[in-house]
Amino acid sequence: MLYRAHRNAGRTAALAAVLLCGVALVPPLAGAAGLGGKSVGNESVTSATGGVTASVTTMTFTTNTDQTSTVTNNGTVALVAESYSVTVSNPTGGNPTFKVFQCAVAWSATKCSGGAGTQVGATLAKNSTTTITSTTAMAVSGLLYLQVEPASVTASTVVTISTKIAAPTQLRAAVKTNQ
Amino acid sequence: MSKHRHTAMKGAGYGKIAVSGLLVTSVGLLAAAGVYAGLSATATGAESVTSGSLNLTLTGDGTSSGFSNFTPKMAPGDTDNVYVNLNNTGTLASAAGMTLGVVGTPSNALTNGSVAGEGLTLTATQCSVAWTVSTGVCSGTTTSILPTTQVSALSTATALSNVPSLAAATGQLAHVQFSLGLVATETSTNGVAPGSTIQNLTTSLGFTFTEQQRAGVATNQ
Repeated sequence: MLYRAHRNAGRTAALAAVLLCGVALVPPLAGAAGLGGKSVGNESVTSATGGVTASVTTMTFTTNTDQTSTVTNNGTVALVAESYSVTVSNPTGGNPTFKVFQCAVAWSATKCSGGAGTQVGATLAKNSTTTITSTTAMAVSGLLYLQVEPASVTASTVVTISTKIAAPTQLRAAVKTNQ
Repeated sequence: MSKHRHTAMKGAGYGKIAVSGLLVTSVGLLAAAGVYAGLSATATGAESVTSGSLNLTLTGDGTSSGFSNFTPKMAPGDTDNVYVNLNNTGTLASAAGMTLGVVGTPSNALTNGSVAGEGLTLTATQCSVAWTVSTGVCSGTTTSILPTTQVSALSTATALSNVPSLAAATGQLAHVQFSLGLVATETSTNGVAPGSTIQNLTTSLGFTFTEQQRAGVATNQ
Protein backbone atom coordinates (compact mmCIF):
# COMPACT_ATOMS: atom_id res chain seq x y z
CA MET A 1 0.00 0.00 0.00
CA LEU A 2 2.78 2.35 0.95
CA TYR A 3 4.61 1.57 -2.27
CA ARG A 4 1.45 2.28 -4.31
CA ALA A 5 0.87 5.53 -2.42
CA HIS A 6 4.42 6.65 -3.18
CA ARG A 7 4.03 5.69 -6.81
CA ASN A 8 0.74 7.68 -7.12
CA ALA A 9 2.33 10.64 -5.43
CA GLY A 10 5.19 10.46 -7.91
CA ARG A 11 2.80 10.37 -10.84
CA THR A 12 0.88 13.33 -9.49
CA ALA A 13 4.06 15.32 -9.03
CA ALA A 14 5.24 14.51 -12.55
CA LEU A 15 1.86 15.49 -14.02
CA ALA A 16 1.89 18.75 -12.10
CA ALA A 17 5.41 19.49 -13.35
CA VAL A 18 4.37 18.88 -16.96
CA LEU A 19 1.31 21.11 -16.59
CA LEU A 20 3.36 23.86 -15.00
CA CYS A 21 5.91 23.68 -17.81
CA GLY A 22 3.10 23.87 -20.36
CA VAL A 23 1.63 26.94 -18.74
CA ALA A 24 5.04 28.56 -18.57
CA LEU A 25 5.72 27.91 -22.25
CA VAL A 26 2.38 29.19 -23.55
CA PRO A 27 2.83 32.87 -24.43
CA PRO A 28 0.44 35.31 -22.88
CA LEU A 29 -2.66 35.98 -24.94
CA ALA A 30 -2.41 38.98 -27.19
CA GLY A 31 -5.66 40.37 -25.90
CA ALA A 32 -4.73 39.95 -22.30
CA ALA A 33 -3.94 43.66 -21.97
CA GLY A 34 -7.42 44.73 -23.07
CA LEU A 35 -9.86 44.61 -25.95
CA GLY A 36 -8.71 44.34 -29.52
CA GLY A 37 -10.76 45.04 -32.64
CA LYS A 38 -10.06 43.04 -35.78
CA SER A 39 -11.46 43.09 -39.28
CA VAL A 40 -10.58 40.83 -42.19
CA GLY A 41 -11.01 41.08 -45.97
CA ASN A 42 -9.86 38.98 -48.91
CA GLU A 43 -8.81 39.85 -52.45
CA SER A 44 -7.79 37.21 -54.96
CA VAL A 45 -5.31 37.96 -57.70
CA THR A 46 -4.00 36.01 -60.68
CA SER A 47 -0.91 37.07 -62.60
CA ALA A 48 -0.64 37.01 -66.35
CA THR A 49 1.83 35.14 -68.54
CA GLY A 50 3.70 36.70 -71.40
CA GLY A 51 5.16 34.53 -74.09
CA VAL A 52 5.12 33.65 -77.77
CA THR A 53 6.11 30.51 -79.60
CA ALA A 54 7.30 29.92 -83.15
CA SER A 55 5.98 26.95 -85.10
CA VAL A 56 9.37 26.41 -86.73
CA THR A 57 12.48 27.26 -84.76
CA THR A 58 15.18 25.58 -86.83
CA MET A 59 15.56 26.07 -90.57
CA THR A 60 18.21 24.45 -92.71
CA PHE A 61 19.06 26.23 -95.96
CA THR A 62 20.87 24.54 -98.81
CA THR A 63 19.45 26.82 -101.50
CA ASN A 64 18.14 30.36 -101.60
CA THR A 65 14.60 29.28 -100.91
CA ASP A 66 12.49 31.20 -98.38
CA GLN A 67 11.16 29.43 -95.31
CA THR A 68 8.35 30.48 -92.96
CA SER A 69 7.41 30.19 -89.32
CA THR A 70 4.20 31.20 -87.53
CA VAL A 71 4.45 33.03 -84.24
CA THR A 72 1.63 32.67 -81.69
CA ASN A 73 1.00 34.73 -78.60
CA ASN A 74 0.15 31.92 -76.22
CA GLY A 75 0.39 34.08 -73.12
CA THR A 76 -2.52 35.71 -71.30
CA VAL A 77 -1.56 39.31 -71.96
CA ALA A 78 -1.43 41.31 -75.17
CA LEU A 79 1.97 42.39 -76.48
CA VAL A 80 3.31 45.55 -78.01
CA ALA A 81 6.58 44.05 -79.21
CA GLU A 82 8.30 40.73 -79.73
CA SER A 83 11.97 39.84 -79.94
CA TYR A 84 13.72 37.05 -81.76
CA SER A 85 17.17 35.77 -81.10
CA VAL A 86 18.37 34.54 -84.48
CA THR A 87 21.45 32.39 -84.76
CA VAL A 88 23.09 31.71 -88.13
CA SER A 89 25.51 28.83 -88.28
CA ASN A 90 28.92 28.94 -89.88
CA PRO A 91 28.66 27.02 -93.16
CA THR A 92 31.56 25.18 -94.70
CA GLY A 93 31.60 27.53 -97.64
CA GLY A 94 30.28 30.84 -98.95
CA ASN A 95 29.03 33.97 -97.24
CA PRO A 96 25.26 33.57 -96.98
CA THR A 97 23.07 36.32 -95.55
CA PHE A 98 19.54 36.21 -94.22
CA LYS A 99 16.67 38.64 -93.75
CA VAL A 100 13.61 38.14 -91.57
CA PHE A 101 10.30 39.54 -92.76
CA GLN A 102 6.97 39.54 -91.01
CA CYS A 103 3.42 39.65 -92.29
CA ALA A 104 0.05 39.98 -90.58
CA VAL A 105 -1.39 37.26 -92.78
CA ALA A 106 0.01 33.97 -93.94
CA TRP A 107 2.65 34.13 -96.64
CA SER A 108 1.46 33.07 -100.02
CA ALA A 109 4.05 32.09 -102.64
CA THR A 110 6.65 34.11 -100.70
CA LYS A 111 4.41 37.17 -100.82
CA CYS A 112 2.68 39.06 -98.01
CA SER A 113 -0.68 40.08 -99.48
CA GLY A 114 1.15 40.49 -102.73
CA GLY A 115 3.93 42.51 -101.14
CA ALA A 116 7.26 41.97 -99.49
CA GLY A 117 6.13 42.28 -95.91
CA THR A 118 8.04 44.19 -93.26
CA GLN A 119 11.65 43.45 -92.52
CA VAL A 120 12.49 42.84 -88.88
CA GLY A 121 15.98 43.95 -87.93
CA ALA A 122 18.95 44.14 -90.24
CA THR A 123 20.57 41.61 -92.54
CA LEU A 124 22.06 38.68 -90.65
CA ALA A 125 25.48 37.29 -91.47
CA LYS A 126 26.80 33.78 -91.02
CA ASN A 127 28.23 32.65 -87.70
CA SER A 128 26.27 35.18 -85.69
CA THR A 129 23.57 35.55 -83.06
CA THR A 130 21.45 38.66 -83.28
CA THR A 131 18.38 39.80 -81.39
CA ILE A 132 15.86 41.54 -83.59
CA THR A 133 12.64 43.16 -82.39
CA SER A 134 9.29 43.71 -83.98
CA THR A 135 7.00 46.42 -82.62
CA THR A 136 3.86 44.83 -83.96
CA ALA A 137 1.09 44.48 -81.38
CA MET A 138 -0.21 40.99 -80.77
CA ALA A 139 -3.45 40.16 -79.07
CA VAL A 140 -3.73 37.12 -76.86
CA SER A 141 -3.74 34.08 -79.17
CA GLY A 142 -2.81 36.39 -82.04
CA LEU A 143 -0.64 35.20 -84.92
CA LEU A 144 2.27 36.74 -86.77
CA TYR A 145 3.91 35.22 -89.84
CA LEU A 146 7.67 35.25 -90.35
CA GLN A 147 9.59 34.51 -93.51
CA VAL A 148 13.35 34.01 -93.57
CA GLU A 149 14.81 34.95 -96.89
CA PRO A 150 18.32 33.71 -97.67
CA ALA A 151 20.86 34.98 -100.16
CA SER A 152 24.16 33.56 -101.43
CA VAL A 153 23.68 30.15 -99.87
CA THR A 154 26.23 27.70 -101.26
CA ALA A 155 26.50 25.27 -98.36
CA SER A 156 24.11 24.00 -95.74
CA THR A 157 23.40 26.75 -93.22
CA VAL A 158 21.17 26.49 -90.16
CA VAL A 159 19.11 29.39 -88.87
CA THR A 160 17.67 29.06 -85.39
CA ILE A 161 14.93 31.34 -84.10
CA SER A 162 14.25 31.77 -80.39
CA THR A 163 11.34 33.99 -79.33
CA LYS A 164 11.75 36.30 -76.37
CA ILE A 165 9.26 38.47 -74.52
CA ALA A 166 10.56 40.87 -71.91
CA ALA A 167 8.18 42.01 -69.18
CA PRO A 168 7.01 44.61 -68.63
CA THR A 169 8.46 46.53 -71.58
CA GLN A 170 6.96 44.34 -74.29
CA LEU A 171 3.60 43.84 -72.60
CA ARG A 172 0.58 46.00 -73.26
CA ALA A 173 0.36 49.27 -71.36
CA ALA A 174 -0.35 48.94 -67.65
CA VAL A 175 -4.02 48.95 -66.70
CA LYS A 176 -5.47 50.63 -63.63
CA THR A 177 -8.68 49.13 -62.31
CA ASN A 178 -10.90 50.79 -59.70
CA GLN A 179 -13.33 48.46 -58.00
CA MET B 1 -2.82 -10.00 42.64
CA SER B 2 -6.56 -10.30 42.04
CA LYS B 3 -7.26 -7.39 44.40
CA HIS B 4 -4.98 -5.15 42.39
CA ARG B 5 -6.69 -6.17 39.20
CA HIS B 6 -10.07 -5.38 40.64
CA THR B 7 -8.88 -1.98 41.75
CA ALA B 8 -7.46 -1.17 38.30
CA MET B 9 -10.67 -2.08 36.55
CA LYS B 10 -12.63 0.00 39.00
CA GLY B 11 -10.35 2.98 38.23
CA ALA B 12 -10.89 2.62 34.50
CA GLY B 13 -14.65 2.70 35.04
CA TYR B 14 -14.39 6.01 36.91
CA GLY B 15 -12.32 7.42 34.01
CA LYS B 16 -14.99 6.60 31.47
CA ILE B 17 -17.61 8.25 33.61
CA ALA B 18 -15.46 11.38 33.92
CA VAL B 19 -14.92 11.63 30.14
CA SER B 20 -18.62 11.18 29.46
CA GLY B 21 -19.40 13.90 31.94
CA LEU B 22 -17.03 16.31 30.27
CA LEU B 23 -18.54 15.66 26.84
CA VAL B 24 -22.08 16.25 28.09
CA THR B 25 -20.99 19.47 29.80
CA SER B 26 -19.23 20.72 26.64
CA VAL B 27 -22.24 20.10 24.45
CA GLY B 28 -24.42 21.92 26.92
CA LEU B 29 -22.14 24.93 27.02
CA LEU B 30 -21.95 25.14 23.22
CA ALA B 31 -25.71 24.99 22.92
CA ALA B 32 -26.11 27.74 25.47
CA ALA B 33 -23.59 29.92 23.63
CA GLY B 34 -25.54 29.49 20.34
CA VAL B 35 -28.69 30.66 21.90
CA TYR B 36 -27.12 33.75 23.41
CA ALA B 37 -24.86 34.89 20.36
CA GLY B 38 -24.16 38.66 19.94
CA LEU B 39 -26.03 41.11 17.68
CA SER B 40 -25.04 41.69 14.01
CA ALA B 41 -25.65 44.55 11.54
CA THR B 42 -25.52 44.59 7.67
CA ALA B 43 -25.31 47.48 5.16
CA THR B 44 -25.79 47.01 1.36
CA GLY B 45 -25.12 49.13 -1.72
CA ALA B 46 -25.30 48.59 -5.51
CA GLU B 47 -23.03 49.77 -8.32
CA SER B 48 -24.06 48.89 -11.84
CA VAL B 49 -21.39 48.37 -14.48
CA THR B 50 -21.69 47.94 -18.25
CA SER B 51 -18.69 46.89 -20.27
CA GLY B 52 -17.83 48.60 -23.54
CA SER B 53 -17.17 46.98 -26.88
CA LEU B 54 -14.47 47.48 -29.49
CA ASN B 55 -15.64 46.61 -32.98
CA LEU B 56 -13.89 47.28 -36.26
CA THR B 57 -15.81 46.64 -39.46
CA LEU B 58 -14.65 46.49 -43.05
CA THR B 59 -17.03 47.36 -45.88
CA GLY B 60 -16.86 48.74 -49.38
CA ASP B 61 -16.46 52.50 -49.77
CA GLY B 62 -18.92 54.30 -52.00
CA THR B 63 -19.91 52.04 -54.88
CA SER B 64 -17.01 49.66 -54.28
CA SER B 65 -17.74 46.13 -53.14
CA GLY B 66 -14.54 46.19 -51.14
CA PHE B 67 -12.08 43.35 -51.15
CA SER B 68 -13.28 40.63 -53.47
CA ASN B 69 -11.74 39.31 -56.65
CA PHE B 70 -9.50 40.94 -59.24
CA THR B 71 -10.74 39.19 -62.36
CA PRO B 72 -8.25 40.30 -65.06
CA LYS B 73 -4.89 38.63 -65.30
CA MET B 74 -2.53 41.04 -63.64
CA ALA B 75 0.54 42.07 -65.62
CA PRO B 76 3.55 43.90 -64.22
CA GLY B 77 2.65 47.56 -63.87
CA ASP B 78 -1.08 46.95 -63.50
CA THR B 79 -2.93 48.37 -60.53
CA ASP B 80 -5.94 47.00 -58.69
CA ASN B 81 -7.51 49.76 -56.58
CA VAL B 82 -9.94 48.61 -53.92
CA TYR B 83 -11.91 51.08 -51.78
CA VAL B 84 -12.96 50.15 -48.27
CA ASN B 85 -14.37 51.71 -45.13
CA LEU B 86 -12.82 50.96 -41.77
CA ASN B 87 -15.42 51.77 -39.14
CA ASN B 88 -15.15 51.76 -35.38
CA THR B 89 -18.65 50.56 -34.56
CA GLY B 90 -18.06 49.67 -30.92
CA THR B 91 -18.75 51.79 -27.86
CA LEU B 92 -15.10 52.28 -27.00
CA ALA B 93 -12.55 54.44 -28.69
CA SER B 94 -9.43 52.71 -29.89
CA ALA B 95 -5.91 53.56 -29.01
CA ALA B 96 -3.93 55.46 -31.57
CA GLY B 97 -2.42 53.10 -34.09
CA MET B 98 -3.60 50.22 -36.20
CA THR B 99 -1.79 47.30 -37.75
CA LEU B 100 -2.27 45.53 -41.05
CA GLY B 101 -1.18 42.02 -41.86
CA VAL B 102 -1.49 40.49 -45.34
CA VAL B 103 -1.18 36.77 -45.92
CA GLY B 104 -1.42 35.07 -49.30
CA THR B 105 -3.12 31.71 -49.67
CA PRO B 106 -1.52 29.83 -51.19
CA SER B 107 1.84 31.38 -50.48
CA ASN B 108 3.77 31.74 -53.72
CA ALA B 109 6.12 34.11 -55.54
CA LEU B 110 3.39 36.75 -55.64
CA THR B 111 3.44 37.04 -51.87
CA ASN B 112 6.44 35.34 -50.29
CA GLY B 113 9.35 37.24 -51.82
CA SER B 114 10.92 34.09 -53.26
CA VAL B 115 11.83 35.96 -56.47
CA ALA B 116 13.95 38.89 -55.41
CA GLY B 117 12.47 42.27 -56.27
CA GLU B 118 9.30 40.79 -57.74
CA GLY B 119 5.78 40.17 -56.50
CA LEU B 120 2.73 42.08 -55.36
CA THR B 121 2.98 45.48 -53.75
CA LEU B 122 0.47 47.35 -51.64
CA THR B 123 -0.12 51.06 -51.11
CA ALA B 124 -2.80 52.50 -48.82
CA THR B 125 -4.16 56.03 -48.93
CA GLN B 126 -6.88 57.55 -46.79
CA CYS B 127 -9.34 60.12 -48.15
CA SER B 128 -11.15 62.57 -45.87
CA VAL B 129 -14.38 61.86 -47.76
CA ALA B 130 -15.66 58.87 -49.69
CA TRP B 131 -13.63 58.01 -52.78
CA THR B 132 -15.11 58.39 -56.23
CA VAL B 133 -14.67 54.77 -57.13
CA SER B 134 -15.31 55.06 -60.87
CA THR B 135 -12.39 57.45 -61.32
CA GLY B 136 -10.28 56.67 -58.27
CA VAL B 137 -10.35 60.33 -57.28
CA CYS B 138 -10.44 61.72 -53.75
CA SER B 139 -12.27 65.05 -53.73
CA GLY B 140 -11.08 65.75 -50.20
CA THR B 141 -7.68 65.44 -48.61
CA THR B 142 -5.53 62.36 -48.99
CA THR B 143 -3.22 60.95 -46.35
CA SER B 144 -0.74 58.15 -46.96
CA ILE B 145 -1.11 55.43 -44.37
CA LEU B 146 1.10 52.86 -46.07
CA PRO B 147 3.77 53.67 -48.65
CA THR B 148 4.27 51.18 -51.48
CA THR B 149 5.39 48.01 -49.75
CA GLN B 150 6.08 44.48 -50.93
CA VAL B 151 3.25 42.24 -49.77
CA SER B 152 5.90 39.76 -48.65
CA ALA B 153 6.93 42.32 -46.02
CA LEU B 154 3.41 42.49 -44.62
CA SER B 155 3.17 38.86 -43.53
CA THR B 156 3.66 40.10 -39.99
CA ALA B 157 1.37 42.83 -38.72
CA THR B 158 2.74 46.21 -39.72
CA ALA B 159 1.84 49.54 -38.19
CA LEU B 160 -0.05 51.89 -40.46
CA SER B 161 0.98 55.53 -40.49
CA ASN B 162 -1.14 58.52 -39.53
CA VAL B 163 -3.76 56.30 -38.01
CA PRO B 164 -4.85 58.39 -35.00
CA SER B 165 -7.49 59.97 -37.19
CA LEU B 166 -8.36 56.74 -38.94
CA ALA B 167 -10.89 55.00 -36.74
CA ALA B 168 -9.98 56.04 -33.27
CA ALA B 169 -13.24 57.53 -32.05
CA THR B 170 -16.45 55.64 -31.70
CA GLY B 171 -18.40 55.71 -34.94
CA GLN B 172 -15.50 57.14 -36.92
CA LEU B 173 -15.24 56.06 -40.53
CA ALA B 174 -12.07 55.91 -42.57
CA HIS B 175 -12.18 55.86 -46.38
CA VAL B 176 -9.14 53.97 -47.61
CA GLN B 177 -7.87 53.12 -51.07
CA PHE B 178 -5.72 49.98 -51.27
CA SER B 179 -3.65 49.77 -54.44
CA LEU B 180 -2.32 46.37 -55.37
CA GLY B 181 0.46 46.39 -57.93
CA LEU B 182 2.66 43.77 -59.53
CA VAL B 183 6.38 44.27 -59.96
CA ALA B 184 8.46 42.00 -62.19
CA THR B 185 11.23 42.07 -64.75
CA GLU B 186 11.32 38.77 -66.61
CA THR B 187 12.00 37.42 -70.07
CA SER B 188 10.08 34.45 -71.41
CA THR B 189 11.87 32.39 -74.02
CA ASN B 190 10.02 30.31 -76.61
CA GLY B 191 6.82 30.82 -74.63
CA VAL B 192 8.31 29.55 -71.39
CA ALA B 193 8.66 31.73 -68.31
CA PRO B 194 11.95 31.68 -66.40
CA GLY B 195 12.40 29.09 -63.68
CA SER B 196 11.72 31.57 -60.90
CA THR B 197 8.70 33.56 -61.96
CA ILE B 198 5.67 35.44 -60.76
CA GLN B 199 3.75 34.54 -63.91
CA ASN B 200 0.54 32.53 -63.99
CA LEU B 201 0.09 32.38 -60.22
CA THR B 202 -3.05 32.86 -58.15
CA THR B 203 -3.34 33.85 -54.54
CA SER B 204 -6.02 35.07 -52.18
CA LEU B 205 -4.80 37.91 -50.03
CA GLY B 206 -6.16 38.01 -46.51
CA PHE B 207 -6.08 41.52 -45.05
CA THR B 208 -6.27 41.70 -41.25
CA PHE B 209 -6.70 45.06 -39.56
CA THR B 210 -6.20 45.19 -35.81
CA GLU B 211 -6.72 47.97 -33.32
CA GLN B 212 -6.46 48.07 -29.54
CA GLN B 213 -8.77 49.71 -27.05
CA ARG B 214 -8.03 53.13 -25.63
CA ALA B 215 -6.07 53.26 -22.38
CA GLY B 216 -7.93 52.30 -19.24
CA VAL B 217 -9.62 55.19 -17.39
CA ALA B 218 -9.71 55.58 -13.60
CA THR B 219 -12.89 57.29 -12.43
CA ASN B 220 -13.43 58.66 -8.90
CA GLN B 221 -17.06 59.19 -7.96
